[in-house]
Amino acid sequence: MKNEQSSPTKEIKPGAKKLNNKFFESLKTWFGKYISIKTFIIIRKTFFDICSLKKIVITIIAMLSLPFIFMLMPTGIDFGLISSHHAATIIGIAILFPVFFWTLGIAYTAIIGTSGSHLIAEEVSSGTMLILVSKPISRIKIFLGKYLAVIFFGMLISFISIFTIGWSGVLIKSGNIDHFISLIPFLTALYLYSVFIVFLFTSITMAFSSIFKKSRTASIVVLILIILSFLAFMIIRTLTGALYGMFQIYHFDLGYHLGNVFVLFIETLNAIPPSAAWQSFFGQMTGVYSLTSTIDPDQGINLGGLEKTNYYLPVFSLLIWILIAALLLFFGIWSLKRREISV
Amino acid sequence: MRQKKMKINYEVWSERLTKIYGDGKEKLEAVSKIDLRVAPGIHGFLGPNGAGKTTTYNMLVGAISITEGEAKIRELKAGSVAAKQLIGFLPQDPVFYEDMAGEDYLIYMGQLGGLKAKEAKRKAQEWLNYFDLFNERDREIGKYSGGMKQKIGIAAALIHDPKVLILDEPTANLDPLGRVDVIQKIKELSEKVSVFVSSHILSEIEQMCEDVTMINHGKIVVSDSIKNIKKSFVSNLYILDTDMNEKFLEILKNEDFISKARIEEIDGKIHIIPKDPEKLRKIIPKMLIENKATLLSFHQPELSLQDIFMEIMSKKEDDEK
Repeated sequence: MKNEQSSPTKEIKPGAKKLNNKFFESLKTWFGKYISIKTFIIIRKTFFDICSLKKIVITIIAMLSLPFIFMLMPTGIDFGLISSHHAATIIGIAILFPVFFWTLGIAYTAIIGTSGSHLIAEEVSSGTMLILVSKPISRIKIFLGKYLAVIFFGMLISFISIFTIGWSGVLIKSGNIDHFISLIPFLTALYLYSVFIVFLFTSITMAFSSIFKKSRTASIVVLILIILSFLAFMIIRTLTGALYGMFQIYHFDLGYHLGNVFVLFIETLNAIPPSAAWQSFFGQMTGVYSLTSTIDPDQGINLGGLEKTNYYLPVFSLLIWILIAALLLFFGIWSLKRREISV
Repeated sequence: MRQKKMKINYEVWSERLTKIYGDGKEKLEAVSKIDLRVAPGIHGFLGPNGAGKTTTYNMLVGAISITEGEAKIRELKAGSVAAKQLIGFLPQDPVFYEDMAGEDYLIYMGQLGGLKAKEAKRKAQEWLNYFDLFNERDREIGKYSGGMKQKIGIAAALIHDPKVLILDEPTANLDPLGRVDVIQKIKELSEKVSVFVSSHILSEIEQMCEDVTMINHGKIVVSDSIKNIKKSFVSNLYILDTDMNEKFLEILKNEDFISKARIEEIDGKIHIIPKDPEKLRKIIPKMLIENKATLLSFHQPELSLQDIFMEIMSKKEDDEK
């Protein structure tokens, strides 16, 4: 006892250790509440349920169909005479539109939507959920297990799709494997964007699956949302012209926000240089770019590329939709926790 | 303190357990303030369809919320993960992952129950063996017969070594042979775990259980051992058969020691509930001689649970009227 009093350092150290231990213990307890070996059991079962080899093959073919058509269009450029970076830019621009609108747009979100919408709703309506909730596992873990399985499935198919697109883009367009290295920043940007998409749409889908009785209803609602995001708002934007900005319709235009986030990843990773070649079309489709060029106000020089509409800062679009996805995730968990499970 | 001790002794315990669906005009009280006391062993839960058995079970396993009151599995709050570790549950008409093989399903259920993969596999094979399903372990559950599905359901409920097995109508939709088989297995299992089993087929419960709780319209009607229930009923019913039953009935009805007397339509005999059984036994021979009647039979019947249940239900309904 005396020794302990005469040596203050000895007193502090165990205290600090205790504090550290307490912190890690509480972290472990908190983490264990949501993720445990049982969560992984659910993830594994759900993943293999939604991810058969046949489904992967069909999914990948569906996702790659449009980019392949674009890849086959001639560019009229001799890839042997240009730099690797330039070649990667041309390949990137050639497939950017179909990848954004189709591969990681309509096709990807529809696949996530249809894969996830039945996971809760169908188990509840069929009666298998009754056995599941009677087992010693919390509903949070059941939800997170299924949720993460869809996320991993989405991440897997987007990885395969993006890699295949990049690889075959290089083979079809230039035939020079070195160009693939230069294409990596572009493919990384696409992959990061796909992770954001899978997080957002899995949250939406699983939240609907938690509240609707029929999986079909959940699927239909997600598909309506996809149509609104990628098609309906594009038409509204084109038809309303200046009214779109005046009435601030962009607040509700998910297509605009997705375009904004896509551009954020492209710009951050310097994946494709700004140029009217892709921005004008992309701007018309998403509303991210206006049709005026970026001019240096002092020197009057065209800096390359088009001006952004900047309704939202791209990073704000990203944060807002991450927040919405997180809220939907919590809502889904909350709905399942409160749901009466009986047949 | 005393109450706490009672909770510990019971496998399943509830106090004023209530489930109300909807509100306002659409309010439906499916289970109304029931006090369950399920002791170790095998306990039957009886009631007609729609009596509230399944709703009660669903509350006990945490599938639906409790509107009022409380329920415990041993000492633990019903529906909590810890309490669910103690129970194995087979729902009424269980639904399985049809495309999963029997063994894989049991391993999955075992792992969700907290078993490691190897242990889950070992236990799955043990239970498959016990239920004579080992040779069918690789077949998809969707291709199993009704009886096999019921067995795999019970095995799935048992795989994580629960202390209490809750079975909701385990023999429903089975053929007579399947029923006998499942009942036999449940009886065997009750030596290792406590079983709380429901059925609307009372003869089955009579074969399996020592104690029963009867429920109707969401309320407990009676809860006791079958022995005690039978004792209380047998002691008060007498059946008399003579060659002039109708005349005898009129005479008996006027006696003040008779509580109730009527001719049963099925057998045509006089069913008598006396206020004073001894007086009845003494007076019957005298009455026979006085009326020059021939005695065909006079006895106290051994009532089945079915008879008692019908009797209780009709009495309850009379009281409610």
